[in-house]
Amino acid sequence: MKDVHVDEWLIDHVRGDLDPADRARVDVHLAACADCLASRERFAVLMTELARTAPAPPPIHWGAYRADLRERLERRTSGHGRLWAWLVQPLPALVAAGLVAVLVLSGLPTAVRTSDPIALDNTILATRLDMIARLDVVQQLDLLEDFNVIGELDELPEPQKS
Amino acid sequence: MESSDEQLCRAVAEREPGAFDLLVERYQERAYRIAWSVLRDREDARDCSQEAFIRLHESAGSFAGQSKFSTWFYRILVNCCLDQQRRRRGWRRLVGWRDQRADGPDEPDPVEQAPAPFTDPVDGMDTERRMTKVWALVDELSPQQRAAVTLSCREGLATKDIAAVLNVSEATVRVHLHRALSTLRRRLGDEG
Repeated sequence: MKDVHVDEWLIDHVRGDLDPADRARVDVHLAACADCLASRERFAVLMTELARTAPAPPPIHWGAYRADLRERLERRTSGHGRLWAWLVQPLPALVAAGLVAVLVLSGLPTAVRTSDPIALDNTILATRLDMIARLDVVQQLDLLEDFNVIGELDELPEPQKS
Repeated sequence: MESSDEQLCRAVAEREPGAFDLLVERYQERAYRIAWSVLRDREDARDCSQEAFIRLHESAGSFAGQSKFSTWFYRILVNCCLDQQRRRRGWRRLVGWRDQRADGPDEPDPVEQAPAPFTDPVDGMDTERRMTKVWALVDELSPQQRAAVTLSCREGLATKDIAAVLNVSEATVRVHLHRALSTLRRRLGDEG
């Protein structure tokens, strides 16, 4: 039966990390159980390998590390760090961005905010009311001359009525 | 006579000049190494180990001396690392990644679910390749298991100290270690 084995105690047994009573209990079991004894040996080999071959972390410059730490600590203790940390929190940043968006959008003409193209056309036409007032003149303009003439509509002579 | 870690910690709490720098010099390499073992990222390891020192500076007064200083400090450090892991996982989820290393109690470890690779018992595996592989497999363990393996096999902490660092029971540490090393053995084709 698996549950009478001492699987989870084997690693501590290898490391010598059991109190005397537990160690004696495991020793008794190992003396009678070849499976657990073999398992213990395989754990021992693996743990030795792990300890011997642990990769070293990438090297860092300890002077720069301590200087950076000191700077961070001073920022934190002076309170500037806390303020800056608050400012770069996602929630305040989102609220700030939303506020800016509202301000920008509220400053634009109503027609630009809407997606209705007719309202947009009306807005543009409203800026050209002077042309509409002189529609009879505008209709007679040669298309190629339009842009030069439109700017000087007020200087054009009144059309002669026949 | 050289001050003990515990004495230095009390001196940090009383803001004695130089005490904090001494503790940093004593623990900087271990802190960075443990953080790197858990996070596997140079910048994250640097950042988390520094954050652990800052938290040590802020909370030195709460060190009651009931455990060794190293156990207390490693607990701060490993908490920083696991927080960082959770944040990283949260961002990955936010941008649509599927985290392959979830370590929730209900989520099975994908490494444990994978079948053992075929290994030729005659040829075996040459030692160097095996060493590279064993630590690559450690990287695939859940953060808690990886922390337990690192603290046990690399830093030589006793089970009760690992339990204090990870804030779990000794029985849980034994389960973490047993599952982690069993997984490594199975993946290495060591099951006899």
